[in-house]
Order: sequence, then C-alpha cells, then structure tokens
Amino acid sequence: MDNALYIGLSRQMTLQRHLDIVANNIANADTSGFKTEEPIFRTEPKSPARTADGPKPIKFVIDAGLARDFSQGALRATNSTLDLAIDGAGFFRIQTPGGERYTRDGHFRLDETGRIVTQSGQPVLDAGGAEVIIDPKKGALEIARDGSMSQGIEQVGRLGVVVFDTLSDLEKSGDNQFRNTSNQQPQPAPASLLRQGMLEASNVNPVLQVTDMMNVTRAYESLARMMESTQELSRRTVERLGRVE
Amino acid sequence: MQALRTAATGMSAQQLNVEVISNNIANMNTVGFKRQRAEFQDLLYQTLERAGAQSSDQGTVVPTGLQVGAGVKAGSIYRIVEQGAMTQTGNKLDMAIQGRGYLQVLLPTSEIAYTRAGNLSLNDQGQLVTSEGYQIQPSIVIPPEATDISISKSGQVQIKQAGATAPSIVGNLELATFVNEGGLEAIGDNLYLESGSSGAPNLSVPGVDGTGVLLQGYTEASNVDAVSEVTALIVAQRAYEMNSKVITAADQMLSTANQVKS
Repeated sequence: MDNALYIGLSRQMTLQRHLDIVANNIANADTSGFKTEEPIFRTEPKSPARTADGPKPIKFVIDAGLARDFSQGALRATNSTLDLAIDGAGFFRIQTPGGERYTRDGHFRLDETGRIVTQSGQPVLDAGGAEVIIDPKKGALEIARDGSMSQGIEQVGRLGVVVFDTLSDLEKSGDNQFRNTSNQQPQPAPASLLRQGMLEASNVNPVLQVTDMMNVTRAYESLARMMESTQELSRRTVERLGRVE
Repeated sequence: MQALRTAATGMSAQQLNVEVISNNIANMNTVGFKRQRAEFQDLLYQTLERAGAQSSDQGTVVPTGLQVGAGVKAGSIYRIVEQGAMTQTGNKLDMAIQGRGYLQVLLPTSEIAYTRAGNLSLNDQGQLVTSEGYQIQPSIVIPPEATDISISKSGQVQIKQAGATAPSIVGNLELATFVNEGGLEAIGDNLYLESGSSGAPNLSVPGVDGTGVLLQGYTEASNVDAVSEVTALIVAQRAYEMNSKVITAADQMLSTANQVKS
C-alpha cells in the first residue's frame, strides 16, 4: 500500500526539479549564448515492500541527467565592433583563473591594456591559445568569418573557435561559460562562421517552456490527489478491519 | 523551492533591462548620446551529478550530468559607441566628431571630463565652453572683435578680424581617445570620466592616429534607434511576465503540497 505513496513522492520530487530547470530557462530567455536545458527521467525498478503473493516489481522515477539543446540561437544585430556571434558549431576560448572555459556569448570588450576580454574581464584566446591584444590606434577592427582579425590592411591575429566531439562532456559553470569535464581536447572549428556586430540570442523557446511549466503544475496536482486517495483508502481499511462486529 | 528564487532573479534582470531601454528612449534627442544595452549572464549551477562520474565498478560513466541553474544576473550595461547621425545646425560654434575621440572639458572641480556633445558657446570672457559653461581644454579665447570663426577638420580654430585680410589662429583643439571607450564612466550632462577600465586618455590632433575629424556647423545626434528600442521594450515586458508566471506556478505547487490531507 505504501508503495503508491512513495512512487508518487518520487515523481513529485522530480517535478519540483523540472520546474527549477524551467525557471532557469525562462530567467535566461534573454541571455546571449544561453542553451536550453531539459531534465531526463528514467525508471528505477525496485522490489515492492511486500512480495508474498509475488506482485510485479514497482518502478520509481528518478532524474537521470540533463539534456542540453545546443541548437543555434537567433542572431541579432547590435552593431558593436566586439560583439561576435558564431553561426554554426563552435565555442570561443576563455582564459579564467580556474582553467580554460568555453562560451558562445560573444559580447567582448577591450580592457585598459587593449586585451580582448569578456564581460567579466577574462581574456579571450586566439587560435594558438594566447591572449589577443589590439592597438586601437591602428584603425577599426575587422573580424572576418574565419576569425582572422585585421586593422586596415594589417593582419593582427586570429580568434580561436573550437568544437567538441561530445558536447555532453561540457558542464555549465555560470557567466555563460562551459567547462570541459573530460579528457577530450577541443579541436579547431573547421567551418565556423563568425558574424561581427551580432550576438547569438538564447535558444529558449518561451512557448515550450510555458507549456512545460503548465504540465509540471498539473502533474503535481494530480499526484497529490492520487496520494490523497491512497491514504484515504488505507484509512478506511483500518477503520473497517478494526470494527468489532 | 529553487524555482521561486530563480524566477525572481529573472524579474529583476528584466526590470533593469526596462530601465536601460527607457533611459535610451528618454535620450533619443540628446546630442552625442550613445545608446546602452544590458547584457545578462547565467548564475552559478548546482551540480547534482557530475557528467563523466563513475556510476559502477565496471567503469560505466554518467553520460550527462545533472545541473540546476540558479537564474540570471546582469553581466554588464555597455555603451554602443556607434557613430550618430550628423545634424546640420549652421551654428559656427557647433562641432561634431566624425570617428573616434572626445573633446576635453574642464570641470569646476578641476578634473578633466570628456564629451562628444559639440554644441559649444562662448562665455563672457570669450572662452569656448559647453552648454553648462565648463571650459573646453586646451582653452580657446575668441576676441570680441572677431567677425568670423572657422574650425578646420584637424581642430585648428581661426578667426577673421575687421581690417585684417588674413585669418589668425587662436588655438588648436585636441581629441582624446581611449583603448576601451565603453569603460568610460558617465556622469551625466553628456560628460564622461576616465576610469580604471577605460585606460588613460591619448591626446592627439584630430585626424591623426585613427582619431576622428571635426565638422564645424554640425552636431552628432544620439545613436538611439526608436524602432529597435520599442521592440526591445516589448521583449523585456513579455519576459518579465513569463518570469512572474513561473512564480505563480511554483506557488501553486507549494499550495498543493500544503493541502495534502494527512
């Protein structure tokens, strides 16, 4: 009898987590380079509390992982020189105190020494893994589709864009950055297209998120009702069995 | 429940977004104004199960980790230093900067501020001043007997005096450029101050070393585009609403949990 309650509880816990993830998607609907996330659930077979008359094994639900949708977000024009969007697969390389990080948020700026840095001031790396220093006196910075940077007729370097074979090895570390959790080495992106003066919007689909959210709240309610009636059942059972004729 | 706090961060981020947009719209007709944009970043993630962690003695690994994000924060509000349109005014003391660079202004606190608003005037001593009456540096004095003023593209200020056939030079304007213009600190009145992230000013003759040139008789209009600001406002408002829906949903779930009879 208690099995139904525990199964209901396991689903309610995952539903709460589902809502947390939906909330994070919606909160980041306007964050450049953000990638939508969705929880993956799986069944967890367990033997029931009472097996005397051999009922089938019961199945709990458990959160197994997180699917990240790495599809392309919409490109929107900002007309800022150091706003870059990657059209296609690939990540920019960022140097942080905790090691190399990867991002698709191409909103960069120059710091006081002329380095290209992210919003939080961490240097962006070039194809060779070195910091990029720009001298604004040389003229307007032009960044070509392949990441090569030029000022006037002078070539001043090439921004690094890398791809990963297995995207699920990446883990979000906040600040729009991803961390590599495996030993695989990122490879230079063969056919990435950089667009200067544009940013990649988040790929959150608001309609899907709101429907997800409605599903979650309704499922939660129906589980509460299921658990309530299960409890009602056991209450009545105790009442009837306890009655002295 | 995490969702409540996450949605709250989303709402405050969109509120900030609306504030930035409304400031842009309010300054649509401000000379030399540069529009601003709020950029957001995701907050820290709580890692419940790490991708690549071992899931058994047989060496199987968790293919996808489990992370729950904590919401969003404002990453930066940055100025888009795109050139504004040139508006012809016909005023001899108006000048627009075409290209990079800022005019230097001496504040009453004897600090130097920088501006791109070139709608200048003369004060009672004939000094070139901004609309607030702050002196332009290097100081330029136009004598009262001057009949005509001309400012060249490279910043040379010449006057014509009655009786004289050749014009005489009264001074040279300089432009200051910065490595990171977006890092200048705005203090209102179209003025900016040097900051730690802008780098030190680089003074040069207009038109040299990649600086812009001066155009007499023009002012630089604000670079705010009304249509894109209004669309951004709609997006921000809808995003705000969606976040408040999440709060309602989370609240509904909590109230369902509270109503379960024991």
